[in-house]
Amino acid sequence: MNCVLDGLLVYIWAELRNWASIVAKLNSAYYFILVPIRHGTLSTLFPTTRRSPSSPEQNPRRLRSTSPTISLAFLGFDSLGFYRATFIRSSIASGNRNLIQNVMAAQVPREWTGIQQFPVATQNKLHEILGKLKLENASTLTILLMGKGGVGKSSTLNSILGERVATVSAFQSEGLRPMMCSRTRAGFTLNIIDTPGLVEGGYVNEQAIEIIKRFLLNKTIDVLLYVDRLDAYRVDNLDKQVIKAITDTFGKRIWQRSIVVLTHAQLSPPDGLSYDEFFTRRSETLLKCIRMGARIKMQEFEGFILDSPIPVALVENSGRCNTNSDGEKILPSGIAWIPNLVEVVTTVSAKGSKPITVDQKLIEGPNPNERGKFFIPLILAFQYFFIIKGIQRTIKRDIETEKRPAWETWASQKADRF
Amino acid sequence: MAAQIAREWSGIQQFPVATQNKLHELLGKLKLENVSTLTILLMGKGGVGKSSTVNSILGERVATVNAFQSEGLRPMMCSRTRAGFTLNIIDTPGLVEGGYVNEQAIEIIKRFLLNKIIDVLLYVDRLDAYRVDSLDKQIIKAITDTFGKRIWQRSLVVLTHAQLSPPDGLNYDEFFNKRSETLLKCIRSGARINKQEFEDFPIHVALVENSGRCNTNADGEKILPGGTAWIPQLVEVITTVIANGSKPIMVDQKLIEGPNPNERGKFFIPLILAFQFVILDAAFFLPWVEAVDTKGNAGVLVRVEPRHIAPTQLRI
Repeated sequence: MNCVLDGLLVYIWAELRNWASIVAKLNSAYYFILVPIRHGTLSTLFPTTRRSPSSPEQNPRRLRSTSPTISLAFLGFDSLGFYRATFIRSSIASGNRNLIQNVMAAQVPREWTGIQQFPVATQNKLHEILGKLKLENASTLTILLMGKGGVGKSSTLNSILGERVATVSAFQSEGLRPMMCSRTRAGFTLNIIDTPGLVEGGYVNEQAIEIIKRFLLNKTIDVLLYVDRLDAYRVDNLDKQVIKAITDTFGKRIWQRSIVVLTHAQLSPPDGLSYDEFFTRRSETLLKCIRMGARIKMQEFEGFILDSPIPVALVENSGRCNTNSDGEKILPSGIAWIPNLVEVVTTVSAKGSKPITVDQKLIEGPNPNERGKFFIPLILAFQYFFIIKGIQRTIKRDIETEKRPAWETWASQKADRF
Repeated sequence: MAAQIAREWSGIQQFPVATQNKLHELLGKLKLENVSTLTILLMGKGGVGKSSTVNSILGERVATVNAFQSEGLRPMMCSRTRAGFTLNIIDTPGLVEGGYVNEQAIEIIKRFLLNKIIDVLLYVDRLDAYRVDSLDKQIIKAITDTFGKRIWQRSLVVLTHAQLSPPDGLNYDEFFNKRSETLLKCIRSGARINKQEFEDFPIHVALVENSGRCNTNADGEKILPGGTAWIPQLVEVITTVIANGSKPIMVDQKLIEGPNPNERGKFFIPLILAFQFVILDAAFFLPWVEAVDTKGNAGVLVRVEPRHIAPTQLRI
């Protein structure tokens, strides 16, 4: 029934489209047709309106309605016969309060205007790095920021983009909403995905992980930035659980394409340690925790080699960051951290391992029913040939060799007599 | 942890003269009120700066401070005397281990504190932490369950790393106010202190900067970004808390073990027994009836109990 209805609608639409484009060409006007269509036929009717992965600031909370929705389509035809479709999706299901849906037409990511705010030296370095990426035919880069809450993920996002995209509040936890920001510059698209903190009150927040997984469906991640504070003095079981959660979500391969980012880089180290010593010890402790949490072994026969150690980058997001003579924000060691970070990101993305595509299979994890399926016919064959046949043979042998009891022989003799 | 003879507070010589004078003044005031010994207990999460604070107050490196390793599970008490006044500072292991409250540490602390009297509790946390969540509430609940609600009348909050640059958009005082408010709200809800009690015994907040890079003023005293020298200020706040009228907490066996669950509702046992007796032995309430007993005497008052009477024997 449904496919018949769909077929009918497609036919009607095709006819209408032809008619409307012809009329529009004749009248050089912009025609609108307002018609209700069924929910499922959208993709067949309007193949151009794909949900593009680089649309900025996607709201991941899609409206799910269990009862059929009626969509109102505005079909506009201009004089050239091209049609553009905008939708007002209304739903008759109860519980859906939001009536207006996003515009389904493909959106163009915004221009990276924030880069103008950086000092000239930083801009030059960034342009150089992006140029190198484009030479290798990489025209888009997707970066994912993950970590505990309150470590500076949203601040780092704001610093890289040069504008205040994400709200940063010192005292309130961010909302449970991942956010993707896309910016283009000279043909190169940079997507940065900001996620909510994975730790809530002492334990890993499974709900946040589910929300992040759903948000990342069908996206490809080039680089993972694991964010933590430089001035935290303890690495304990909680960090290991966070790392385990990330590994369980994306697989071990994500760590081949990840960078550890330490914020609050402009700190005064505790007494008795120089800045470099402190930084080295902190990164070593954190990297050891990652190796243990993700169960990455260094031996080759394990099948998974971390061929190069995970790089560690320093970041200082506050306005009080020291600047050098060119005006660039610098770390206590003197290097400008924004170009440094982008350079490390490009190094990692060019390493040769494949980027992580987040598909349904990855999210759901391996199907437990598939495990050991290979053995089922073998076991059945074994059971048939060895066990069943053996038992049958034994039974037949028993029947042949058994002594018949006296009453049976007497009864059969009696039967024979008649 | 053998009982130690309190040593002379030699570390106080290391402070600049101005700090020494202020400290002597405060200790003198305490002795005037007949307080000759002061026991301070430091508690808090791990890695916030409890041992560093002990070292700073005493002026010597008593507790080992390691930036990367958790301290051992060993509480430590340091006693120092000065001009007849004894100062005991008890340093404890961090209460949080990997996302949950470390019950073993609490047990060790309880056993260590047996038969000691606590004058002041210092709840230590970092000033530059940006989130207060349910983990902090669990720690505060654990402290309240250990010592009872009264401990919060004799406690103050100490925020370390006081020499921080606040995040963008907030100046230092605003940040400090918001941080203390959030932490105090957490303490109030975790310890279930109601509004009246909180107004009678407000919890003070003191700032501390333990690193060697702390700024100093003209006298050489270590100062906060606000300009006040923090060591005398901390000791002053402690003396204020002592004098607010509440009693010090005596840690005895009863406090440690908690209320005996067998004592609960003991009052009701005789009442319930009486009630049961009445219900089951309801003969108490049955009417008296004149009847003839087995020997033939008339006029004997007998209670009518249905189960004792066969239908044929009933003669009324």
